[in-house]
Amino acid sequence: MTAQTPQSLLSIEHLSKTFPGQVALRDVSLELRPGEVHALVGPNGSGKSTLIKLLASFHQPDPGAEVQWQGRRVDSLGDLDTRQLRFVHQDLGLVAELNAIDNFALVHGYAQRTRLGAIDWRRAAARAEELLTRLGVDDLDVWKPVGQYTPVERASVAIARALDGLKAGEGALVLDEPTASLAPVEVSRLFAIVRRLAAAGTSVLYVSHRLDEIFEIADRVTVLREGRRVATREVSELDQRELASLLVGHEIAELTREVRPLPSAGAEPSIAVQGLSSKLVREMSFEVGQGEIVGLAGLLGSGREEVPYAVAGALTPPAAGTFSVRGKVASELDPRSAQGLGIAFVPADRGAEGSIADFNVAENITLPQLNRFTRSGLIDSRRERAEVQGWIERLDIRPPLGTKPFPLLSGGNQQKAVVAKALALEPALLVLAEPTAGVDIGARRLIYRLVHKAAAGGLGVLVSSSDVEDLISLCDRVIVLRDGREVRQLSGSELTQSSLLHAMEGSQQTTAGVDGGLL
Amino acid sequence: MSDAPGIDLAADAAGTPSAPRAGQREPRARRFLSGLSFSNIGAVYVWIVIVAIFWIWVPSTFPTGGTVKAVLNDSAVTGLVALALTVPLAARIFDLSVVGNLGLCNMFVAYLFAHTSLSIGVIVLLTLLLALVVGAVNVLVVVVMKIDSFIGTLATGALLEAANTLISKEQPVNSVRLSAGFQKISSTQIIGVTIPVLYMIAIAAAVWVMLEHTATGRRLYATGFNADAARLAGVQTSRLRAMTLMFSALIAGIAGIVVTATVGSGSPGIGPPYLLVAFAAAFLGGTQLKGGRFNAWGTVIAVLMLGTGTEGLSLAAAPVWASSVFTGVTLIAALAVTGFQRGRVRGGAASGEEEPAAQLAGAG
Repeated sequence: MTAQTPQSLLSIEHLSKTFPGQVALRDVSLELRPGEVHALVGPNGSGKSTLIKLLASFHQPDPGAEVQWQGRRVDSLGDLDTRQLRFVHQDLGLVAELNAIDNFALVHGYAQRTRLGAIDWRRAAARAEELLTRLGVDDLDVWKPVGQYTPVERASVAIARALDGLKAGEGALVLDEPTASLAPVEVSRLFAIVRRLAAAGTSVLYVSHRLDEIFEIADRVTVLREGRRVATREVSELDQRELASLLVGHEIAELTREVRPLPSAGAEPSIAVQGLSSKLVREMSFEVGQGEIVGLAGLLGSGREEVPYAVAGALTPPAAGTFSVRGKVASELDPRSAQGLGIAFVPADRGAEGSIADFNVAENITLPQLNRFTRSGLIDSRRERAEVQGWIERLDIRPPLGTKPFPLLSGGNQQKAVVAKALALEPALLVLAEPTAGVDIGARRLIYRLVHKAAAGGLGVLVSSSDVEDLISLCDRVIVLRDGREVRQLSGSELTQSSLLHAMEGSQQTTAGVDGGLL
Repeated sequence: MSDAPGIDLAADAAGTPSAPRAGQREPRARRFLSGLSFSNIGAVYVWIVIVAIFWIWVPSTFPTGGTVKAVLNDSAVTGLVALALTVPLAARIFDLSVVGNLGLCNMFVAYLFAHTSLSIGVIVLLTLLLALVVGAVNVLVVVVMKIDSFIGTLATGALLEAANTLISKEQPVNSVRLSAGFQKISSTQIIGVTIPVLYMIAIAAAVWVMLEHTATGRRLYATGFNADAARLAGVQTSRLRAMTLMFSALIAGIAGIVVTATVGSGSPGIGPPYLLVAFAAAFLGGTQLKGGRFNAWGTVIAVLMLGTGTEGLSLAAAPVWASSVFTGVTLIAALAVTGFQRGRVRGGAASGEEEPAAQLAGAG
């Protein structure tokens, strides 16, 4: 890579960062060209987050880094960030209760004033709309609290805010996992925004866990692993498999579904659901066989996202319907009675629903079944530790310490711990919602293997995911929902990305983005 | 479960050799040292400083066994109230009505002695029953009607004040029977301290075992830290919340009986002054020992630390306002010494996506 070519907007060389006891980044270089979308990928712990934090001047790099902006030397990254390098972090940093105008003002203040010094709301609103229009977003009510926006609308507000003060086509934007919580259609809307920015001349550094997105949106890709830059490549010269092996560090097999014997006909299913109805779901009935992995697909709002919660008894008010597990029948489930039936649940939001941040790893894993470790009223902590250690080893949770505070684990290891918590219940049915949200490729594959292994032992699995790869790599059969009803079932050779997306969108005219973008 | 079919994943997990031997705890010596760190027991160091100051300030009267006993004896009721608060706080429930409950029980005991001829045992039982009725009302408001506990118990506390005034007509209630055998409930001395100190220690021990060594305690903390996740894990959060309110009511009742035996009358307005000190102690206690978990011994340490200062000031014949100044200053000092590093660690640990090393480094 020729960093000194005049065409580079930002070039960084010899960037290192040492934390006490660990080198997080070692002699990394990165170059952004004007108007390019540059993907940054790396497994958890690869130094990706550290690199972003260095760019944002949250950390100071070790001495020796050379930074150039438009060919001119810059003393420190700190001189850059506020002026030309803008950031949209994963959580977006918006206040849900405030409207777009106020969210803009959180960063930039209320610039539009009347002569008396009061805020000129009309002009402030006009300014907010103008910033959004620049992104091609012109249908947003800027007076509405952003909490009522869809996730992609919120993302566009965050991007518009980040770019406030730059002329169109200026500077560079760092997007940190912007699609983590987006449905496929929304992803294509976001990509439209990113393409528009890049076409105008703004560089975009795009951080992502999803490899398919990189092929979709990026011009070049830089791969980090273990604190080093492994490669920077033109995306057009790569294929998925090559990129995946760069990430993992060795050759990996083509993404294939494990061919597994289907559950024998006539055997009692893990769960039979009759007439499931909730806010989004209408009169849905389905079964999950023993050892079968059933996926739930659908756009946001199709009901796909609500079914796992309904089955796990996590909805209030509880969903209507009857649930038969191992010969026991129940309705009006709550989480406890669902567990009693033999249903274990891994919710979509690891932080808010799946774990307790103030607990350590062990406490999180054992929470649903503390009674098992209780001897004459007291918790037998030696047995608890032994049990937890077994799960830590079986799922390769790192670091292998039950006493580690939960938030100090990487996303993938957190998810493994949450899955361990569910498997430890020895359920008849494992219900997973968004099982790979925000985990890196290595952890994703491990989670797939875990689920396959568990199913091979007779466990029924129900997976709801917005991630097409989850559904294809994981499931024997996928139920596609639209408007709260089952519209299609796909299995075997029918189960492909295009058939899945097609079924989710419906046979009628599809949104331009999905056909043009994701297929 | 380790032998559950199909979930033996060891073969898969063994892709790479795991770095440190799994399951090892920190070495004993290191655990001991980190147990003594500022961030763990900051209040104890502030306490030592307080003792040193008064030792120098009033050398003739402060460093005596009498002072130790006085601190313990005078802290007992505050300690009971603070322990009553600690348990609901673990589940993130504020019970502001405990002091109103204490006051009402005080008045109720005195009233029964003055106007009936019931025996001590019956009166004590009736009073505890009254305290539990108050707790049940709190449960109705906070758990059933789902009113925020801070507001809800503020409201029930106001109602308790009203009931108190109704009985007392704002006059102390006295009875000769109060000064007879009943006083033994508080004045009996065992190993040099009055018996309420032992009540406090016994209840602290019970709270300690319950919170830290039973499944109920673990579930209480889970409820307090993240009620949604706890519920999804099958924890019966509402039932636990109700339980904590009944517990705090019961302890408030005990404290009310002990107070009556100590002061020998039903005194209007005896409850509210305990509120702030007890809450301060419970919160300060929550930062001690267990890193952010409300816990029994932390609360007791905080109560005794504050009690030491109050005792020292009275021995030094300091003006009345000095006591409040002391309470404010020590609280801030103890929280600063303890909380400084911890706050930063917490802040840095917010997102699960980050690299652990970077977080720790950023936090330290």
